[in-house]
Amino acid sequence: MAGILVYALHDDEGNFNKNSLGAISEAAKLAGELGTEAAALVVGDVSDEGAAGLGKYGARRVFRARTVPEGLAQPIVDAMAKVISEQGFSYALFGGGLLGFEIGAGLTARLNAGVTMEVTEVRVEDGKLVAVRPVLQDSAVVDVGYVGEPGIIIGRLNAFDASERGDGAAEVVDVDVELSEWSTKARMVKRGEQRGADVNIEDAEILVGGGRGLGEAANFKLAEELAEALGGAVAATRAVVDAGWYPYSAQIGQTGKTVAPKLYLAVGISGAIQHKVGMQNSENILAINKDPNAPIFEFSDLGVVGDLHKIVPKLTEAIKAKKGG
Amino acid sequence: MGVAPAQFPPPVAPAEEFVTGITDSEDERIEVGVAIVGAGPAGLACAIRIMQLLEGEPELSERLGEVPVAVIEKGKVAGAHLLSGATMRPSGMRALFPDLDPSEWPVYQRVEKDAVYLLTPRLALPLKPPPPSFRNHGNYVTSIARLGRFLGERAEEAGVYLLTETAAAKLLVEDRIVRGVRSGDKGRGRDGEELANFEPGSDVVAKATVLAEGTQGHLTGAAIEYFGLEGLQPQRWELGVKEVWEVPKPLDRVIHTMGWPLRKRARYNEFGGSFIYPMGEDKVSIGFVAGLDYTDATFSVHDTLQLFKEHPFVRRILDGGTRVAWGAKTIPSGGFWALPRKLAVPGMVICGDAAGMCNVAELKGIHYAMHAGIYAAEAIVAALKQDSVNFDAYDARVRDSLICEDLYRWRNVRQAFSRGFFFGGAIASLATITRGHLPPGRWKQHEDALEEMEIGKAGSRYPKPDGKYTFDKLSSVFASGNATRDDAPNHIRIQRHVPREVAQTWVSMCPAQVYEIPEEQAASGAPEVDVHVTPSNCVQCGAITAKGGRLTPPEGGDGPLYQEV
Repeated sequence: MAGILVYALHDDEGNFNKNSLGAISEAAKLAGELGTEAAALVVGDVSDEGAAGLGKYGARRVFRARTVPEGLAQPIVDAMAKVISEQGFSYALFGGGLLGFEIGAGLTARLNAGVTMEVTEVRVEDGKLVAVRPVLQDSAVVDVGYVGEPGIIIGRLNAFDASERGDGAAEVVDVDVELSEWSTKARMVKRGEQRGADVNIEDAEILVGGGRGLGEAANFKLAEELAEALGGAVAATRAVVDAGWYPYSAQIGQTGKTVAPKLYLAVGISGAIQHKVGMQNSENILAINKDPNAPIFEFSDLGVVGDLHKIVPKLTEAIKAKKGG
Repeated sequence: MGVAPAQFPPPVAPAEEFVTGITDSEDERIEVGVAIVGAGPAGLACAIRIMQLLEGEPELSERLGEVPVAVIEKGKVAGAHLLSGATMRPSGMRALFPDLDPSEWPVYQRVEKDAVYLLTPRLALPLKPPPPSFRNHGNYVTSIARLGRFLGERAEEAGVYLLTETAAAKLLVEDRIVRGVRSGDKGRGRDGEELANFEPGSDVVAKATVLAEGTQGHLTGAAIEYFGLEGLQPQRWELGVKEVWEVPKPLDRVIHTMGWPLRKRARYNEFGGSFIYPMGEDKVSIGFVAGLDYTDATFSVHDTLQLFKEHPFVRRILDGGTRVAWGAKTIPSGGFWALPRKLAVPGMVICGDAAGMCNVAELKGIHYAMHAGIYAAEAIVAALKQDSVNFDAYDARVRDSLICEDLYRWRNVRQAFSRGFFFGGAIASLATITRGHLPPGRWKQHEDALEEMEIGKAGSRYPKPDGKYTFDKLSSVFASGNATRDDAPNHIRIQRHVPREVAQTWVSMCPAQVYEIPEEQAASGAPEVDVHVTPSNCVQCGAITAKGGRLTPPEGGDGPLYQEV
């Protein structure tokens, strides 16, 4: 049968990765159009409920390889290769992330398959999948088709949105995987988020970004209160992270994270290009700055020239009042 | 009275910190035949020439091992850290590639027309005929960043091992014989701690070491101090900031300007000028160069270039265009008297801008670098055949070449400009007419960092950047391709608490906004202030080394990624 197999990554608490769930939803959508099945592969210690729960996102079957360790590429290549060969899947799909890149690349070599990386969109054409990927620093896109099977598709980070499109639980199928000799050479010592996991600004729909205009570290309280009132998170510029006012995990820009929330509220941020490249795709940008010539006003939808120390507390109060009433 | 930055020397001792013995065991070290530091025109010409010579020397080839020539380059690719005007004299290309047609050179066009203008705030007065030193007829407009890539490819094709993203951090010396270099560590955090991706440097042990590091060479500085190679006069520098513009109408000539926006009064000591070169049909290269012996702490070459672009004469050329690139670099301008006393010591030679092989009067240096690289290659191959590390033949060859002939002719001209524009112009004419016989003697020049700085009014003249035609420093750093990680260790050595005059000098001088005075201290008027350093902005132009600090190489791969400057 010619289905699509997705590798679903989970953390030590059993929570599945957002990009993996997105890939399952995408596979289910495509499988519907192809008239075939979307399935997922999980490794390590995953509960029956956890594995079956992937059915919500559209996986009909979930293959579980309990003896294969999570987080290392080579053992997972063994597991993916076995399930694809034995079950005859036509495509393997990976959500974004470094591990997906590594497994996808290894799988490609193992199965002598065709691969497309950094894919932003997949569609069905003449009963086959076509992967779309940006090239030349995203100045053009190319369509990639597959002449043989399986076709390996590795998505760009956040390319696929998770949606609960499935009906009911997935069938859980336990598989035994014999690891290759080289797959046992590395051992997982510890897993964790490298750069502070406390603030997940990439997922927030509303962000309040604080810059040097706040004056001192203690004044980030203003941004935090505003974010709380709005139900959003707090982000920061390189300069204030550099000064130690806020953790690196909240840094936006060329050397930080790239975000695209529905609302970006820039407080005391001048808007240097290094910051702009990290947030310019926000749907709505609102800036408060005392300098009317600050570059941020050139790409804001709404600009307020004034003293943020006076404006922000009042704005927070007004939002609280509106939400309360 | 002003304050000289030299009174606040950086916490650094190059000959002790950056010169070391071999520490890696025999298994760990990397053994190469010739180690060349710097993938610029000097280093790559040397590498290519060695490979050409080795074709006829199978026995020596064998002895040099698996990697006969390695070029160590801190930039992401060959050319990533190269910046120049540039109009190039073609003799270096001809000497290195005698069979290559100029149509295959990495150049834009041959110069057919020259023009030199004296600028007033509103007018551009053509100097006819142009001063001889500015005549470029028959030279080629090139981008040295492109030239670096071209030479890098040729070198790799010839079998050279090009080690990019690798800094040469220390010079390996044993018994006063240079034995190679040690590469820099990678993956250290802000306080020097080892991060998850930490990789220690390695000893690159070589039979010959070529320092072709370019302006403000890190190991060159250490070697000059360690071996006592200081020239008869101290080296000094100019700082150049340039942009590349896409323009709707092609430029038909090579342009140089003098005068405005520099101020004529002798006490400001502002010397320099601009260049505007055509790059094919749709691009121009525009830059401003000024001597780092100026005395107004608020003077900024980057902002002088922005002001210069507002002149109606320049506006007409750039009108309707967009800026596509930006960069900055220092230029050694000490000339003949500042050349190291010796260009070779046992096991090592110094080539190109690292040695100060630059002719500021004629704005030329690329061909000297290439010739020097070729001479070094020939001397090294001849010596290694005899199993010798004595490369003195290189020193003699340079002193007897067009490099020293040219530098000697202009030996006293740059100094004259420190006494004002018109006096300098008169001396330059004298040198031209007498083919360098006059003025005689050895005119004094002193270190840029010894100039006493005062907080003047240069800063108040600069335009407020509009982001379209004139640009601030940060957006310019972005245009240089620099995306250095923020938690890299600081590679800039300066004193952090200094008189306001010194701090302001660094703040204004640096084209990449590396130095800042905290806002409250800037406003308070305190006589001494703290200097905040943002090393990730640094484009490694080297100005800080000239003006009282010391640049060291950051982690390999950091800094700008110049494409076409």
